[in-house]
Amino acid sequence: MTSPNRGRGWPAKFKPLSRAMLAVALAGLAALVVRLRGSGGTPPHQGGWRELAASELAPPAKP
Amino acid sequence: MRAVLVGLGAVGARAARQLLASPQVDHLAVLARKPVRSRGRSRELSGSFEVAELSPATLPAALRGASVTVLAAPGSQWVAQLSIDAGVPVVSASDRPDEVRALVAMDRQAQGRGLAVVAGAAMAPGLSCLLAAWASSRLDQLSELHIATLGTGGPQCAKRRHASLREPVEEWRDGRWARKAPGSGRELVWFPGQVGGADCYRLNRPDTFLLVRAFPGTSCVTTRAAASRRDRLTSWLPMLRPPHPEGTVGALRVEARGYRRGAAQSVVLGAAGRPALLAGTVAATAALRAATGQLRPGAGGLASLVPDPAAVLAELHDRGVQLSAFEGAPVNPAW
Repeated sequence: MTSPNRGRGWPAKFKPLSRAMLAVALAGLAALVVRLRGSGGTPPHQGGWRELAASELAPPAKP
Repeated sequence: MRAVLVGLGAVGARAARQLLASPQVDHLAVLARKPVRSRGRSRELSGSFEVAELSPATLPAALRGASVTVLAAPGSQWVAQLSIDAGVPVVSASDRPDEVRALVAMDRQAQGRGLAVVAGAAMAPGLSCLLAAWASSRLDQLSELHIATLGTGGPQCAKRRHASLREPVEEWRDGRWARKAPGSGRELVWFPGQVGGADCYRLNRPDTFLLVRAFPGTSCVTTRAAASRRDRLTSWLPMLRPPHPEGTVGALRVEARGYRRGAAQSVVLGAAGRPALLAGTVAATAALRAATGQLRPGAGGLASLVPDPAAVLAELHDRGVQLSAFEGAPVNPAW
């Protein structure tokens, strides 16, 4: 059996759809690259910021 | 003492307020390129001051009898040169790499006259250099310094940050300069205060140059700033909207890595507040110390010229600058 569309490519009425699908796929690929690029970091799991008092701003005695 | 202030923008106005509140300052001469606009802003100031136009004709008269010149406007190297010639110390709040390098190039002149020429007395550089110097004093051996900032001061600062996101970045890696792409090196940084975490990227700022000069033995010095994807994407375009009059949210994080008693350690310090307020406070504090001979002679950053960073940080603390230390612990202590 031979397909009636063989050798003719996509029918003309599907062309806008195929172009839209290609555009969405390319945009998704670009977004994936942008989101995944870079090393990022791991949020701290313990500890935190503590405000310093004036008395703490003294140089420590070195051994 | 008499002080000269060039520029009455967001940072200049904060510095002026701090200087006029000091009992050491008898009179402040404010010089501005647009004195009409500055006179409007000067209504918020109180004390003995005058506003005049900045020009080669008016500057020598203002420098006569002055104890210090504070530069809070871009393109003021010629003012610095005239101040040095007149024997007046200079404190610059500029965050432009070319201006900072030009000021540091005046080192020999400044040393010859026994004057302090402070390049970068703002939030970053400025407070970043002081925190780095203090953090390094907590370590026996300093190996790395990493600076990260969030927020901008006035419009000039915002324009500068926009431009710096498209300029090549000189980074100190393995004891030598390495050129990096602007906006690269994303790192999640946790800032003090209510700011929380933000993605930070490399950008062209003079902190690295000043810190390498102050700590030549370090193997790595980096500078990053918080930026959104839109900031990075549109950095090559003109600013899409006018910058805000003054940024409201700002934060700074300084991490020093090294060794203490033979063990690897890192000291993480930070500050949070309005960037222009932090910058103006640092500039005024440095100016009062430069005027009273409490800084080393020469041209450089605060890390190079301040003999006792702890004392300056304590003074900044008294002036309302909130300083913080990050006390973290490894998730698995066995690592």
